[in-house]
Amino acid sequence: MIAAFSPFLAVRYLVTRRINLLGIAGVMFAVWAMLVVDAVFTGFVSGIRRDVRTSTTDLLVTDLPHDTGYERLREAIEADTGLVAATAPRLRHHGMLQRVRQPQRRVRTQGSSQVDFDHTENGFALLVGIDPVREEAVSGLRSWLVRGPEELAQRYPGDFWSSTVLDEPDLERRSQLRAKDEVEWAARRRSNLPAAKNVQQHRADMPGVLFGWQRIRRTGALPEAEPFDLLVAAVGSDNQLRSDSDRVQFAGCFATGHRMFDENAVLLPIETLRTLLGLDSFDPASVDLVTDIAVRVRRDTSASALVAGKQRLQRAVQALLPPGSPPCSVLDWEEQNLVFLSAVAHEQAMMQFVLFVVMLVAAFVIYATLHMMVVQKVKDIGIMAAIGGSPAGIGAVFLVGGFTVGAVGALLGIGAGLLSVQYLNPVNDWLFANFQVELFPRTLFDLREIPCDLEPSWIAKVGIGAVLLALVVAFVPSRKASRMNPVQALSHE
Amino acid sequence: MNAPVLQAAAVHKHYRIGKQEIPVLRGIDLSVQPGESVALLGASGAGKSTLLHVLGLLDPPTTGEVRYDGVPVHGLPIGERARLRHRHVGFVFQFYHLIPELTALQNVLLARMMAVSALGYWGQRKAAKAAAIAMLEQVGLGARLHHRPSELSGGERQRVAIARALLAEPRVILADEPTGNLDSHTAAGVVELMFGIQRDRGLALVLVTHDERLAQRCHRIVRLADGVVVS
Ligand SMILES: Nc1ncnc2c1ncn2[C@@H]1O[C@H](COP(=O)(O)OP(=O)(O)O)[C@@H](O)[C@H]1O
Ligand SMILES: [Mg+2]
Repeated sequence: MIAAFSPFLAVRYLVTRRINLLGIAGVMFAVWAMLVVDAVFTGFVSGIRRDVRTSTTDLLVTDLPHDTGYERLREAIEADTGLVAATAPRLRHHGMLQRVRQPQRRVRTQGSSQVDFDHTENGFALLVGIDPVREEAVSGLRSWLVRGPEELAQRYPGDFWSSTVLDEPDLERRSQLRAKDEVEWAARRRSNLPAAKNVQQHRADMPGVLFGWQRIRRTGALPEAEPFDLLVAAVGSDNQLRSDSDRVQFAGCFATGHRMFDENAVLLPIETLRTLLGLDSFDPASVDLVTDIAVRVRRDTSASALVAGKQRLQRAVQALLPPGSPPCSVLDWEEQNLVFLSAVAHEQAMMQFVLFVVMLVAAFVIYATLHMMVVQKVKDIGIMAAIGGSPAGIGAVFLVGGFTVGAVGALLGIGAGLLSVQYLNPVNDWLFANFQVELFPRTLFDLREIPCDLEPSWIAKVGIGAVLLALVVAFVPSRKASRMNPVQALSHE
Repeated sequence: MNAPVLQAAAVHKHYRIGKQEIPVLRGIDLSVQPGESVALLGASGAGKSTLLHVLGLLDPPTTGEVRYDGVPVHGLPIGERARLRHRHVGFVFQFYHLIPELTALQNVLLARMMAVSALGYWGQRKAAKAAAIAMLEQVGLGARLHHRPSELSGGERQRVAIARALLAEPRVILADEPTGNLDSHTAAGVVELMFGIQRDRGLALVLVTHDERLAQRCHRIVRLADGVVVS
């Protein structure tokens, strides 16, 4: 029970002392900063996680020995029908790409600070050989191809057409990512490459490659079926370095949202890459080489079933590898991006810590003002005692004072936070339009708008935390007041 | 016969300064009957204020007992002592001791807020306000309700303090040189007011004063010297 005079006097003392506005402002600022910065960060992180998730398959069987073939493992993995919905082979290798024809004017990048180290405009690539038909069943390949031109069109002028290679009815052509006959014919003519006299006689034969949209920023907008030379080098079984090249055509542009992947990866038919590595599918002695196997799990798989399933798959695959092979890995999507995701999580934790320090400073301001108040009000404390105030009630005056400062500050901070989050993008746009300043530079992170994700549970945590902190710091002055000798307090000058 | 409304029995009070023990009260016996007024006279430093504080539960005696209606009170728990101080006695001080942030009305109302919970007070706030206004009107400050102490004269301040002491309807008024800071004309008014209320309500009054003529108006005079009652 709080005696009636405690809140009454607390409020009178607060409203007659402007210095308390400082405490309120401090708490308000700290709460506001904690909400807005964390909202942006959470929005940013959940955006990153979403993008990373869509760029990553459910499970990836990896760390396989150098000459692992797909078919044998596929049978073993797909035999686990309780877990596995589909699999697709992946073959990673490094390569180089060079445009056949002279480059066009490049896309102008807005204030870009990127390092332009490759004058070839194409340069190095992380080649990812895929089986397009199977790949569609395990990853978001189709949606990546929709998103690629969208991302480009939102930023740059140019003709960013949507790829239709996945709609090709002929399975053989689709698995080669081949362009339509007439499209490739026109491309060959443009680039002065050998082509049939007339378009009816032409049969497309160049395998297609898919670029991440970040690569297009360097090459400029590319027409359909634009020819490229692809160079691959590898150490063969005879321990000699050998290289091979093939002529390929640009078959489309993808965006997964995972920046590193979209910058470096070039997708191409796995058979094309195997052939370049000297493994011709017509040669019965060659292996259907993979470095990884992407797995899509059934949608009804629970988290615990996934953990058990991972171990089961690992054992099944390991059993098929040559004896003595180092252990292969089966990684879920978070494990596939472990370093990246934990770096992001760590950054968020650091940010929260810094903001917590801001909150501590605000709490100290409250402590200082309340302490000052007790010192100024010694005589009043004696008066309260003389007219029948209990020590608990006298202490409560200052406790309620601290609580009120904390609560008012927290409420104002929450209000300001909600408004800021609501109007963050308009305000940012307005600032940029009128003063060329931005609160959060979007181009730095390549975002179209500032992501914001203010969770109610976080609002509650911050609000309650601020009030509790105010109560804790108010406790010391409050105890000092309640322990004062009333007679001495009355005679205080 | 009824128990005295206020009684001191063999009250000693020592202050310790450093190693030195200073006796201020050295065995005070005093009984005050309901409705009785007692003047406490004595030289400055005789211990009059100290005795008043001990009688009013603001300061514990070193030895001896204080009884309200025959019941010893200094051994009670601290919260209970606060409640008794509020219900049983009302203090009036030489320097008024009003809270500067509050208006006259709020200063008086404060006396109603001491022993009820915030919620309990909310239920009776209208009645409390009416009672406080009535009390201020009775002390002649009906037109000064919303003035701060700094906007009031000394006499007016003391009237507010009297209204505050009376609002909780105590049985005893402990007044420590209530006119000591007032000019004689103003003092006379305050004195009339105090004695009037004391008579009307049948309150006991312990009045500390230097003024012999004022003391004569009380039922009884107690003289204090060197911490003992001399007559
Ligand atoms: N808190 C204290 N510590 C030490 N001595 C005190 C204290 N309060 C009062 N005294 C001393 O007690 C004596 C009596 O003081 P007081 O009761 O105020 O006298 P009076 O009111 O009769 O003038 C004085 O000598 C004073 O110095
Ligand atoms: Mg005195």
